Amino acid sequence: MRLPVLILPLLTLLLLPAGCATRPDPADPEAVAEFEQTNDPAEPFNRTMYSVHQAIDSAVLRPVAVAYRDVVPQPVRLGITNVLGNLRSPVILVNDMLQGQPRRAGDTLGRFLINSTVGLGGIFDVARDHFGVRGHNGDWGQTMARWGVEEGPFLFVPILGPSNPRDLAGFGLGLVTDPLNWFGQGLAVDILTGTRAGMTVIDTREGLIEPLDEVQRTSLDPYATLRSAFRQRRNAEIGYQTDQAAPDAGNGTEQAPPR
Amino acid sequence: MTMTTRRILLLGAALGLSLAGAARAEPDPARAARFIQTTGQELVAAINSNAPVAQRRQEVATILRRNVDIEGVGRFILGRWWRVATPSERQEYLKLFEETLIHNLAARFGEYQGVRFTVGRTQQRSEDDVLVNTIIERPNNPPFSLDWRIGEVNGQLKVVDVIAEGTSLRLTQRSEYSSVIQRNNGQVSALLAAMRNQIQQLAAREGR
Repeated sequence: MRLPVLILPLLTLLLLPAGCATRPDPADPEAVAEFEQTNDPAEPFNRTMYSVHQAIDSAVLRPVAVAYRDVVPQPVRLGITNVLGNLRSPVILVNDMLQGQPRRAGDTLGRFLINSTVGLGGIFDVARDHFGVRGHNGDWGQTMARWGVEEGPFLFVPILGPSNPRDLAGFGLGLVTDPLNWFGQGLAVDILTGTRAGMTVIDTREGLIEPLDEVQRTSLDPYATLRSAFRQRRNAEIGYQTDQAAPDAGNGTEQAPPR
Repeated sequence: MTMTTRRILLLGAALGLSLAGAARAEPDPARAARFIQTTGQELVAAINSNAPVAQRRQEVATILRRNVDIEGVGRFILGRWWRVATPSERQEYLKLFEETLIHNLAARFGEYQGVRFTVGRTQQRSEDDVLVNTIIERPNNPPFSLDWRIGEVNGQLKVVDVIAEGTSLRLTQRSEYSSVIQRNNGQVSALLAAMRNQIQQLAAREGR
């Protein structure tokens, strides 16, 4: 299970020179600026990879995600999401520390300890529900970005989705540095690791059913939409802007007294 | 020209400048928050009402036309292609853009049944816009955060962008539209044809 996942990005990098976008006429500065802003010199190749991904997605990934949602009741799915998130904690913790963020590291460590014990192995997010400590994402790509490593050209990788060389390398590092992948060997461990990887794919895809359907339904060029949305979101994640804020005692639809 | 008249002219120019400065005053964060509060409540009421879909869409359209800088956003999204477009293409584009916006929202009425929101903190982003954060809650869905970028157009507060999880709607859509035009050899008319086609599909979906 682990090997093909690592081979995929390598294959992508090898095939990269196969299709390059034509640079716009240098006499048109606006077109050149847009070309650089879009950061997709391998666009023809990426679009091919995108069609490969779409074929896999509509044949396997989406149907499996939909079936999973139909068969498994919502509370169980939430428990699975929580367990998978909890299992990611060690890697998030290491990256929080490498990013020089003691507070975020403290949150991650506290969440891991509380949810692994009181939260029954991470099934319940006790840290969020009872202590108000929300989880956040952290990965090697983010750490490299905060250390000043450039993202490199945009890449679309089948199954993994939109990415770039920096985040792909980060993805590989995440697998290698995950302590849960270090211990034990034999069939049982392989089955557990494989189940976790498979569940991560299904859980992620299930959470994306609506947004991705929406893109397919409303975008005149889903590839361009995904590329732009991914890069903006990724930048926000690197700047810690996607950490979900708790709704404060404001107003809105709730008829609270004006502050 | 005498010294005095020159002085008076200078004074006049200075006055004029300071007045002009006052005229494009930046939107006040508290006012922007109230604006989102009111507009949001109107929108939620229209979406959650029991009226037939067509009537709800009419209401939503009225709210959007009044509170969104549709022309400004539309021009921003067309970006560098605005200058390439002919006057009639521009006119049709703005009309199609408005319809797309309304139909896209109307197509999601069902999904947003029972939606509630909370206005969070506000942030002065630049000289002419303010970011207002809201938390959107839907039954059986985890809450998510949505930021509204508010600008002032002719003294009126208007929504100029919506940002979800760091993703700006107008930036994403500019990328999408520009890609469509580029892949059709720089023809703005190709985008207009695609937009027309899309509106037809969205309208057909709504009828169901």
